[in-house]
Amino acid sequence: MGGFTLDAITVTRGPVRLLDGVSGCVEAGRCTAVVGPSGAGKSTLLRVLNRLEEPTAGRVLLDGRPIGEMDVPALRRRVGLVAQQPVLLTDRVADELRVGRHDLAAEQSSALLQRVGLPVDFATRPTAELSGGEAQRLCLARALAVEPEVLLLDEPTSALDGLTAALIADLAHDHVVGGGTVVLVSHNLAVVRRVAHHVLVLHGGRLVAAGPPKEIDYLETG
Amino acid sequence: MNTGLNVPNWTGVSASLLLVALAAAIAYRQRLGLTRELVAAAARAGVQLVAVAAVLGVIFAHGGLAAGFGWVIVMIVIAGQVAGRRGRGLRRAVWSATAGVAVGTIVTLGGLLAVRVIAMQPRVVVPLGGMIVSGAMLAAGLTLRRLREDAEQGRPAIEARLCLGLSAREAFLPHQRSALRTALLPAIDSTKVVGLISLPGAMTGLILAGVDPLTAIRYQIVVMYMLVAATTLAALATARLAEHALFDHAHRLLPLLENLRAMR
Repeated sequence: MGGFTLDAITVTRGPVRLLDGVSGCVEAGRCTAVVGPSGAGKSTLLRVLNRLEEPTAGRVLLDGRPIGEMDVPALRRRVGLVAQQPVLLTDRVADELRVGRHDLAAEQSSALLQRVGLPVDFATRPTAELSGGEAQRLCLARALAVEPEVLLLDEPTSALDGLTAALIADLAHDHVVGGGTVVLVSHNLAVVRRVAHHVLVLHGGRLVAAGPPKEIDYLETG
Repeated sequence: MNTGLNVPNWTGVSASLLLVALAAAIAYRQRLGLTRELVAAAARAGVQLVAVAAVLGVIFAHGGLAAGFGWVIVMIVIAGQVAGRRGRGLRRAVWSATAGVAVGTIVTLGGLLAVRVIAMQPRVVVPLGGMIVSGAMLAAGLTLRRLREDAEQGRPAIEARLCLGLSAREAFLPHQRSALRTALLPAIDSTKVVGLISLPGAMTGLILAGVDPLTAIRYQIVVMYMLVAATTLAALATARLAEHALFDHAHRLLPLLENLRAMR
């Protein structure tokens, strides 16, 4: 499970409409990509899905139930968000992985590090020594540690040095194969074409196209 | 009343104004741009103290205990306003500061009065209340200032914790701890060096009044412990209340008020 229904979502901030009547769905167990130019409302949409942002109008259903009625920390453990900019919260890599999962065993930490392409011996490294790309990967691993049903990835390829689009594509693919749902915001259209089952195209806060990647002109024209 | 003390007369007080004039002249010569502020502060302090002395004289002579406690309440309200300004942009900052100062004052002053460590007299309640409120106000103000900075600059980290399923309280806890440490360090440091670097107010006052130093320190120790407790309680209560107002029911970090106004 882990499917969203968006019902006329509008988010306004002052005079600006960040999202304007967006309706659509994110299928459970699939990868949905959200694409569009900068400022289209892609990141806002992800923040709405885990209630970091509250719609001014409209509602979001998760598996048929309004997310507004759910316990918020429990919802966020089900719906993990990896933000655009990596933010590290502790001094040591192993501690970082335990922020959302205090009982994480050492073997699980190692498995997570491997999953995001970091060496196992990184567990003892100070987080201050990590490069931007390594920090971004660690943030991915930290989100995976909570074992979310839905993974919201906000442009994760933007700050990755050395981590190719292939790893993101593999992670998204693995999560879907494991029964999870992925919502991927990306400017990297090659990754989108490779992993997405469904694409939502946003422009100026509006949903201007939706469908399988093959039917989306934006993926061809950018 | 003959106290047997060598208290300066009004001529002496006027003479001490020369010291302010000296400081103002230096500030003027150095072009610090502080001369006007310095003179205004000195004048204000003088007027305030004369006015307060007049009011305290009336309270001690005729007002009784109720007026003494009334005076302490007025101090708490003023302290809440002053400390609350340090958290400008935070919701309910003045309320949080006022409640924090009130908690620190009521618990410590009330506790000492209840167990009769200090006398239930306006002459005791008002000055000790003033010391407590002053210490609590500084702690509440520092706490709010740090919380405000953290709520603004620490937003990405707070939201990263929220995204991992932590509650608002858990997500803000590291910031709250750091704000409390900042707020309490001055009180802890001054407690550490008390008597070595500074002879604190109560002890100085008693020694000037001719009391034996060994007797004076007993009072000072009570005052010092009272201040440590009051500042800690005030900072904790202020932080807890202010933190509550930083988040909404959906564990979302709210924008600071001025940022909200800018958005509109």
